Amino acid sequence: MPDATLDFELHRRRLDNGLDVVVAPDPSLPIVGVNLWYGVGSRNEREGKTGFAHLFEHMMFQGSKHVPKNGHFDLVERAGGSLNASTSFDRTNYFETLPSHHLDLALWLESDRLGFMLPAMTQEKLDNQRDVVKNEKRQRYDNQPYGDWLERLLGLVWPSDHPYTHTVIGSMEDIDAATLDDVSDFFATFYVPNNAVLTVAGDVEVEHAFDRVEHWFGGIARGEEVPAIPGNLEIPIPMAAPQRVEVVSDVPLARTFVGYRIPPVTDPAFAAVDLVAQLLGSGRSSRLYRDLVRTGKVRDAFAYAFPLSGGASMLLLGATGLPDADPAELETLLTDSAAGVVEVEPAELDRALALEEARLAQSLEHLGTRADRISMNTQTFDRPERVTEELAELRAVTLDQVRAAGERWVAHPDRAVVTYIPEAG
Amino acid sequence: MTSPDRTVAPAPGPLRSFDFPAVESSALENGVALDVVRLPRLPVVTAYLSLPAGEEALQSERAGLATLTGEALEGGTSKRGGAELAEALEALGADVDVHSGWAATTISLSCLAERLGEGLSLLSEMVREPGFPEAEVERARAQQLARIRQQRMDPGSLATYRAHREIYADGEPYARPALGREATVAPVGVEALRGWAEAFLHAGGASLTVAGDVDADEVHRLASQALGDWRARPVERSVPAGRSRGGGRRIVVVDLPNAVQSEIRVSQVGVPRNAPERAALTVGNAILGGTFNSRLNLNLREENGFTYGVRSRFAGRRGPGPFSISTAVDTENTPAALREIFHEVERILEGGPTAEETEATRDYLAGVFPLRLESTSQVASKVAEQRIYELPADEWTGYRDRIRDVTPEAAHTALRDRLRPDELVVVISGNAGELRPGLEALGVGPVEVTDRESAVDDVAEPTG
Repeated sequence: MPDATLDFELHRRRLDNGLDVVVAPDPSLPIVGVNLWYGVGSRNEREGKTGFAHLFEHMMFQGSKHVPKNGHFDLVERAGGSLNASTSFDRTNYFETLPSHHLDLALWLESDRLGFMLPAMTQEKLDNQRDVVKNEKRQRYDNQPYGDWLERLLGLVWPSDHPYTHTVIGSMEDIDAATLDDVSDFFATFYVPNNAVLTVAGDVEVEHAFDRVEHWFGGIARGEEVPAIPGNLEIPIPMAAPQRVEVVSDVPLARTFVGYRIPPVTDPAFAAVDLVAQLLGSGRSSRLYRDLVRTGKVRDAFAYAFPLSGGASMLLLGATGLPDADPAELETLLTDSAAGVVEVEPAELDRALALEEARLAQSLEHLGTRADRISMNTQTFDRPERVTEELAELRAVTLDQVRAAGERWVAHPDRAVVTYIPEAG
Repeated sequence: MTSPDRTVAPAPGPLRSFDFPAVESSALENGVALDVVRLPRLPVVTAYLSLPAGEEALQSERAGLATLTGEALEGGTSKRGGAELAEALEALGADVDVHSGWAATTISLSCLAERLGEGLSLLSEMVREPGFPEAEVERARAQQLARIRQQRMDPGSLATYRAHREIYADGEPYARPALGREATVAPVGVEALRGWAEAFLHAGGASLTVAGDVDADEVHRLASQALGDWRARPVERSVPAGRSRGGGRRIVVVDLPNAVQSEIRVSQVGVPRNAPERAALTVGNAILGGTFNSRLNLNLREENGFTYGVRSRFAGRRGPGPFSISTAVDTENTPAALREIFHEVERILEGGPTAEETEATRDYLAGVFPLRLESTSQVASKVAEQRIYELPADEWTGYRDRIRDVTPEAAHTALRDRLRPDELVVVISGNAGELRPGLEALGVGPVEVTDRESAVDDVAEPTG
């Protein structure tokens, strides 16, 4: 089958201050996506400062020297754009999609907070956003059934001195302890042009876009080199021994989460593990659906290979039991089905690739997603053009390599397991 | 290089025009409405087959049947079992999803454009020759029952469903959860599904929307092959009246003794999707609570830090859908947040939106419109929405102009006509013991506490 045509035009330049800039013109709609990836996430947090990268992301919307509090949302929404940001383990991204004649607005806003954020910071703003983040944590984690699953699983998959061992949202105590000094230190350390990728994708003329980027960002001083990720990244893959915890809790149905250490996204072996995850969990002809859901053994099941780059990554499996399920059986059901991937058939691989091809093309219809994927490929792989090559990379993986990846990274007992058991009554 | 002037926001460049993409409409021999939108950006396509077979057509005691039937369509056809069907679709790289809403059952197909013909042929097999194998129906039913149980344990869903039960009169479809209840879903067997399929899954009232890198004539040919000889029956659809339960302003707490936060819904019966003043209401609601910079969000989040976010919304349905303000607030600040919510509702009803707010909001809504039309599925869903809700022909081509024409007075009038603070019902799922004194002191209305198990059950038949 022919590959979907994904031949985006891409241009990359680096400003003198180190800002890595990619322009991807596409005039088909009068829209532009502006996307910044900063090479900082929860992995860069030190002990006692968990959750700070994310709290800092909130502070980035509290105005800068020339932009009032709420100015970002106010001005971008007024221009008919949408915007947001997110914090992950390895990075923090900030993005706007807006009508293309407002390109300068987005660049002005983004450059002002990169160059001139601190003058606008106040204790009142920090206190306000601290309360917002604490309510975010309550809404998304503490007040949700299974809300602490990731915190528990990360604690089992990673050693206590590994940077992925704590969640992005962090702990209430650490969020409470954050100070304005932490804000300025973090800003000076990580929010420097030499630690960022800026992608402009959509209805722009290439030279004009570079010119506007230079205009707004060129005068911002380069920062120091970003310090090494704290903690010990040199850990064995897979884990040395299994880890398990059972949680009796106020949940509707039993649910099990299983984590495996796998090679990082930057390792050539990752593509095969990623395919394993898709063969297990992608679509209704996938293994977990076929073996467990369609047969009525579980309510739902999924698989996902986290694309982490810090020395190792994690393959996640999960399943929810039906009301009469025996929670003790969930792990075995899940891991037995997953281990079956060692004898995956060629037709399964063809289906997984066909599905991925269509989904990839459809996700790239959105300029925001396209810009984000380009920033990711630039920062993580130093290859923006990889955005159009991801499918080819997957296609290059052979059936034997997929089976071997299953054998080596999945079909073994050294995994972390968190099982939720509904409280009686 | 000259250093840039950062003191004022840069002026925009010349505006690029944007038109809603052209829709080529035709009909298949049996009357199925076909809408085709050519979008050649990427070699992909999305098709929506919409049938007037929604949950709102069901009596209360059969609630959840449309949803269950939709899920069971994936369980196989007369020609192949569920696993074989999934394999055939995914070998094409096709994602198929059945969505059963209040107004319609919609089957969506997404794939590479060159696979459209094969995809439509399988989609047609699914709806025209459903197999409903016993084991697959059992699976679908068990999953739906599990979802119902999950929703009852989810504080947000619990608050939403209780709110619907509080604002709509008994017997109104929108008073119940779209998934149905355990008592209505548990007894459903293959025969009930067959009956529903016989009555509702046919070409009568059906529409097919196709958007992507395709040619309209070719799509017509492929659609005719797949669906052109499907039998069409007359469709009689009534629109839910959406009668209000009445009873005045009150607070209902669904007690979750372990909750650290309150999920809050402040609701009343709203307007149908096709209400004539929809544009004015959209602008008015956006100012009240529809955007990040809305009055509610600036107050509750950015000034007070009570919440991660708050939104208000007039849900669009064929009958009058619910209006709701939704947020989640830590237990301690819940009464204070409610006071601010009522304050903002009363403030906007009294003084109306300012000219400045109205202009900013019109700019936002008109400007953001093309951003929501980037993908084939976004465009297809808009065109399908037009069919399902029988919206005017210029619904999308005229959307931006209608929004730009909304005056502060029109937005104010629309809100005053549709929002009645004396009828707003507050539903909170949270810690009743801690909340009660503060809520009673608010003076919003009487406070009633209920438990989780009975929170979304049918209301007992009124006596006398």
